[in-house]
Amino acid sequence: MNEPVLRIKNLHKTYPNGVHALKGVSFDVKKGEFLVIIGLSGSGKSTLLRCINRLHDPTSGEILFQGEDSAKLKTPNQIRTLRNRIGMIFQHFNLIPRHTVLGNVLVGKLGHTSTIRSLLGLFSDQDKADSLRYLKLVGIADKTHIRADQLSGGQQQRVAIARALTQNPEVLLADEPVASLDPATCHVVMDYLRKVNQELGITVICNLHFLSLVRQYATRVIALKGGEVVYEGDPNNIDEAWFEKIYGEGAKEVHIN
Amino acid sequence: MSGPILRRSVLDGISFATFVSAILTIIVHPTREQMLNLPIVAGIFLISFLVGCLVSQILNSMGIKTLGQNLFEPDYEKAKAEAKAWYRTFWGWHLFLFILVLFVVGINKTKFSVIELLDQDGFAGASRLFKGLFSPNWSILPTAVYNIIETVFMAFLATMFAIPVAFILSFMSAKNVVMGRPVSYAIYFVLKAILNLTRSIEALVWAIIFSVWVGIGPFAGMLALMIHSIASLTKQYAEMVENVSDGPIEGVRSCGANKLQTIWFAIVPQVILPYISFTVYRWDINVRMATIIGLVGGGGIGTMLIQYQGQAMWSEVGTIIFVIAIVVWAMDLASSYIREALK
Ligand SMILES: Nc1ncnc2c1ncn2[C@@H]1O[C@H](COP(=O)(O)OP(=O)(O)OP(=O)(O)O)[C@@H](O)[C@H]1O
Ligand SMILES: [Mg+2]
Repeated sequence: MNEPVLRIKNLHKTYPNGVHALKGVSFDVKKGEFLVIIGLSGSGKSTLLRCINRLHDPTSGEILFQGEDSAKLKTPNQIRTLRNRIGMIFQHFNLIPRHTVLGNVLVGKLGHTSTIRSLLGLFSDQDKADSLRYLKLVGIADKTHIRADQLSGGQQQRVAIARALTQNPEVLLADEPVASLDPATCHVVMDYLRKVNQELGITVICNLHFLSLVRQYATRVIALKGGEVVYEGDPNNIDEAWFEKIYGEGAKEVHIN
Repeated sequence: MSGPILRRSVLDGISFATFVSAILTIIVHPTREQMLNLPIVAGIFLISFLVGCLVSQILNSMGIKTLGQNLFEPDYEKAKAEAKAWYRTFWGWHLFLFILVLFVVGINKTKFSVIELLDQDGFAGASRLFKGLFSPNWSILPTAVYNIIETVFMAFLATMFAIPVAFILSFMSAKNVVMGRPVSYAIYFVLKAILNLTRSIEALVWAIIFSVWVGIGPFAGMLALMIHSIASLTKQYAEMVENVSDGPIEGVRSCGANKLQTIWFAIVPQVILPYISFTVYRWDINVRMATIIGLVGGGGIGTMLIQYQGQAMWSEVGTIIFVIAIVVWAMDLASSYIREALK
């Protein structure tokens, strides 16, 4: 239970435009935990997640995923295999608007499917059964044949979770999954993430903005500031002093219920 | 030299050289022989061009803004300019004189003449023509209809053949697709150059080329339209691809999809409707162009038109023009309704 799935060592990321977004980030992610990353806007949270599944290329440092350094992967093939093992959901859901819910969830199977078969839409029955199972898990099996852009934000995010789950991932990355949802929907989505974490045993790494959510869902928390880790520990130990350190002088906590 | 300064110098140089050439022509009154002496003429133009560049450089360094500077300077420089009436600025007079000179030269070159327009004999000819046009000879209507069907299908086939080619090329010539891969990027540049060249050659010229190649007739016209459609559709399609939203692309990529899968699942659904809409419009344009292409031997109604026009048979020409107008109008209407429905 306690061996790390991910060990990040001295990770740096400098964007082509010169922004030094990550400045030597190091931490471990234990198997099965619900790790939440907090930090001000621009502190590098999204950059960090995208380095883990290589949507962005890190500049230097190591990302040991199950013992193998994924920062070193070079060929598109290796990188795709890595991404296939890591699911991701996004603030703006990033679904294909004109496709049905099922069509969107099947996208999670692209990594396993040959190019020809996937372009012709020939997904196996097993793949379809898997997709339906995960749609059921996030509670929207009744919307299977509806176009994704007809759904509410919360429903779209659940489709996105189902899509990530059909990849059968070892780790699930969530980049501010509830930032564009209303407070009530936000809890529904977070509850499904917790379910995925606890029932399926998938390690979750999640960027969040609201500390009340962090205390409710996180098993551990990491705070970034200016591209560096400034706090690592129990979410309940973030007191007034830490809060000011992470978010700056005079910041006040807002509550969301 | 940086881009804005280069562009500034070229514009200022050309406007200066045009000005000098026009003045010289008025003063010297060269004979036709002298005008055709390309080395001398070009030499004079080039020298005055260089002088113009130099003058522009001097004026701008003195803080007097030339037309080129005013047009091409970066936005943050433009923001500094104070509002002034154009006749109180140097570049205002620069622009005014440039347009004035172009106008004078234009009138001269096109032999613009009010006298010819109102000439008695010419008028009689024109009125004969119009009389013919308005009393069409309906006996050739079946042939005209037969020929315009040929024209419409020539345009249809050209569009159909162009679609798959342009579809594939559009992804190869969209910046957001080729980015980050040196080989794709190289192909992108070569492809762009070829397409720009192809597009800059009018369909009419392609028709002439193909009518020599495969012989005069609808096949040559179809090939010409096809080449032109491929180049134009590719450009329009590629623009759509460059404007898609990144969200779905990121989403699909995060699942481990390869390049082709990403294009098919994330980009194609976003561009398919605009693609269809552009394609319908292209067919509409191609029908018009097919008519014109017929004039140079591309077959169909255009070829028929030029034959009767050559014999000054205006009643027959009137019939043909009537048929063309009906078909073009119908195509235009249909295509705009279809495009409206696809929005
Ligand atoms: N594609 C990019 N190119 C250049 N700079 C970028 C890019 N993406 C992010 N940055 C910069 O990197 C820094 C970190 O950005 P990042 O998006 O990781 O922050 P974040 O913590 O996710 O912020 P937010 O809470 O606003 O999402 C910022 O200064 C940002 O401007
Ligand atoms: Mg972010």
